[in-house]
Amino acid sequence: MARTAKQRTDIQIAICGSAGDGTIAAGDILKQAMAKAGYNVIAFDVYPPEIRGFGKCIARARITSEQVYSLKSESDCLISLNDSHAIPHVSEVCKFGTVIYEDTPVSTVEEGAHVSSHLAPAHLPYGVAFREISERITSSARSRNIVAVGYLAGLYDMPADVFHEVISGKFASKSKELADSVRAAFDAGFQAGVDTFRLHFDRMGAAGGRGKQTDLVMMSGNAAIVRGCLDAGIDTFFGYPITPATTIMEMLAREMPKRGGRLLQTEDEISAIAATIGAGYTGARAATATSGPGLALMAEMMGLGAMAEVPAVAFVSQRGGPSTGMPTKTEQSDLNLAVFGVAGDGQRIVLAPTNVEGCYKCAGKAFEMAEAFQTPVIVLLDLYLSNRYEAVQLPVKNPFAENCSKAPRKNASPAEYSRYKLTSDGVSPRAIPGETGRMHTVTGLEHDERGKPSDQPRIHHAMSGKRHQKLLPALKHPGITISKRFGDKGAVDVGVLGWGSTFGEILEAMIEARKEGIRCAAMKVVMLSPLPVGPVKAFMDDCNEVLVPELNYEAQFASLVTGATGRSVHRLNRVRGTPMSVGEILDQIRHLAGQSGKIAAE
Amino acid sequence: MMNVSTPVYLEDKLEEVERSGKLEYRSGTLPTWCPGCGYFSISEGVGKAMTELGLDQKDTVCVSGIGCASRFPFFMNTYGFHSLHGRALPVATGIKVANDDLTVVVVGGDGDAFAIGGGHIPHAARRNVDITYILFDNGVYGLTKGQTSPTSVLGFKTTTTPYLNFDQPLNPLMMLLSYGASWVAQAYAGEPHHLTEMIKAAIDHRGFSYLHVLSPCVTFDKTSMTYKNLDMSVHPLPDDHDASDFSAAMTAAQTTDHHQIGVYFSSERPTLSDGLDEISERAKQTA
Repeated sequence: MARTAKQRTDIQIAICGSAGDGTIAAGDILKQAMAKAGYNVIAFDVYPPEIRGFGKCIARARITSEQVYSLKSESDCLISLNDSHAIPHVSEVCKFGTVIYEDTPVSTVEEGAHVSSHLAPAHLPYGVAFREISERITSSARSRNIVAVGYLAGLYDMPADVFHEVISGKFASKSKELADSVRAAFDAGFQAGVDTFRLHFDRMGAAGGRGKQTDLVMMSGNAAIVRGCLDAGIDTFFGYPITPATTIMEMLAREMPKRGGRLLQTEDEISAIAATIGAGYTGARAATATSGPGLALMAEMMGLGAMAEVPAVAFVSQRGGPSTGMPTKTEQSDLNLAVFGVAGDGQRIVLAPTNVEGCYKCAGKAFEMAEAFQTPVIVLLDLYLSNRYEAVQLPVKNPFAENCSKAPRKNASPAEYSRYKLTSDGVSPRAIPGETGRMHTVTGLEHDERGKPSDQPRIHHAMSGKRHQKLLPALKHPGITISKRFGDKGAVDVGVLGWGSTFGEILEAMIEARKEGIRCAAMKVVMLSPLPVGPVKAFMDDCNEVLVPELNYEAQFASLVTGATGRSVHRLNRVRGTPMSVGEILDQIRHLAGQSGKIAAE
Repeated sequence: MMNVSTPVYLEDKLEEVERSGKLEYRSGTLPTWCPGCGYFSISEGVGKAMTELGLDQKDTVCVSGIGCASRFPFFMNTYGFHSLHGRALPVATGIKVANDDLTVVVVGGDGDAFAIGGGHIPHAARRNVDITYILFDNGVYGLTKGQTSPTSVLGFKTTTTPYLNFDQPLNPLMMLLSYGASWVAQAYAGEPHHLTEMIKAAIDHRGFSYLHVLSPCVTFDKTSMTYKNLDMSVHPLPDDHDASDFSAAMTAAQTTDHHQIGVYFSSERPTLSDGLDEISERAKQTA
């Protein structure tokens, strides 16, 4: 069935298999190809902590013609590469959604073990001989995943050429033979899809997107962090592998040396942040990346960075906690650690981007702010944001400033130099090693303006004030969104306040609520420390009820906001290891809107 | 021994010190160590060594952790980083990786190094970071007023081991040798001239150099590592010791009851920065 040009496309595909089935790889080809075709794509993979060992993998991709902000709780199509893993996910397929599965299993299937026996009456079943096709074309069953992607593309009228491009690109570094064989497997699957009798469901032809886009790139949150680092001119990186931050280090390890940058895998997270601070002390743009457990180890060093006033950037991608927790599941439970995790009054800047483009911006701006305010900066991500793919458009012109350091005046006498001079904005001119005559020692001990250790009451009070006051102008740092309001203007029934990756779901829920006639607005808060108290308060003033959905048990952001504004909020907390569902947020909005109406009536 | 019949006048001494140039490496901050502390002779030695090597203060960074020894950077007129307990080596690694032009001297005590910071030493050594690590070993925690350290002798009674120190002391020289340090030596605070020579050689070495300095704590250890005991037990390494011979170095390092001072081991191999440059070259070729 031909699509009309104005038809909206919004299809979510879920591919489910066992570790080793090529589930994630199949999802990767799908999302890259559809982004090439000009669609908006949001994708997120769920995988087990083990490399093999039959854990469940799901690759989900939402492919749309319009801008959307999160995955849907229901998928339009489920591809099963492993029935035992896919069966529990049949229920996430929407009414009149399709389920694609292996119809020629290797051996006899026990009753109830095949996915086809779990379909709902309104599901459309498509059985395909993935294995047979793969064996026929490539003389191995290993390309089942590619056959499945091909079949999906054929069934949904997706343009084959973009898939060919992606496959060639993906296997360019391997042998031509392999690339040809993968492409042949795709084509065989594609033909099988085209030849299938199809009912009328939403299709997505080449015309569905905006046509081939060269400036749109499919990128994960972590990849966007890496691009931000490179565009900001990162000099050194020190890190220790930890899920879900490892890929940041892996990508930088390939890219930085090409530009003369230096990267070192250290012996632990403590040395990673220590070396980052050491490098920052010399004037380099230095960063590290870790997750919650690593940040816990870095807490003492973060205090040193604050006390010694040394620039350093740490990318922290949260996962399920506490302790080792759930390494491959998402959560937003390290807010307290990021904002407060330090001995003493050791405030630093904490940024939490809400989408992939935000990751890019925050990464680059983190280096600017670390330099400008002489402080550690934490960029707080989570697994859902780190591993989620979005089609993004990066600025053509590099948006990041090269050097934001406040240097001593050229004609100032070196003998008079005070590293920690009390100035009106709290930022002292910073000399770095190599500058004649301005030798000084930086220290984690409380110190006077010259950097000499001192525990005088007057000095400790003045220096504590300096270290906190100097961070406030970060709320006005140019070129970055600190907080932003969406939806209805003026007074509303329900306002949803959010941070981090969950904000996509919040936006979708808010948009739905407005369609239902609820007066609703949402605000994202990107800078968590220092908190933009003014704008947050102003937003809360406009709302009859304020809802704060977040992926942690202790309502950490809600508590932060409540503490800073002295106002109460409604909390919505889920810790299932998965993103918050739009439906759950929407239900709460409806509930609060009803309450709000009642209160107003009284 | 000084000739007692020749009087020494303060003015003459001051003039001599000023002429030597070593004051240029002293900051205006006076050391906070106890009178008689071995660390005075180490800081004196570092100043002298820097003068004789002609190091530029602006291109020199002293890095330390926490402890009596770690106050050292404050007393020097170079750039300094007084960091966290046990973390001087990774901070110094970051400094060196970011700026190869700097001469980086790391100082610290035995607790800072081998207790809380023990995990960092093997990695700085195996990477051959081009820094100098001067270890001030007084066998006790001084800044917290006298508790056992990983190099305290067996049986040492302190405030936290009031009956007995049961923990076997470490052998730092053997550890550093087996970690792959490319230069390992020992000196004694009571032999300042030899100490200065060792510091010069350590800074001069290209790669990770480790200088272990035996240094009595006159306040909290009046029983084991005293000047009296060390004066009796410290001897130079035999004249025929071959510093290029790793096995000979290990054998010499096993002797702990009779401390031998001198260069145990010295070898040349690419530094961390050499490796990072090589990586960059290869990356550029594939780009």
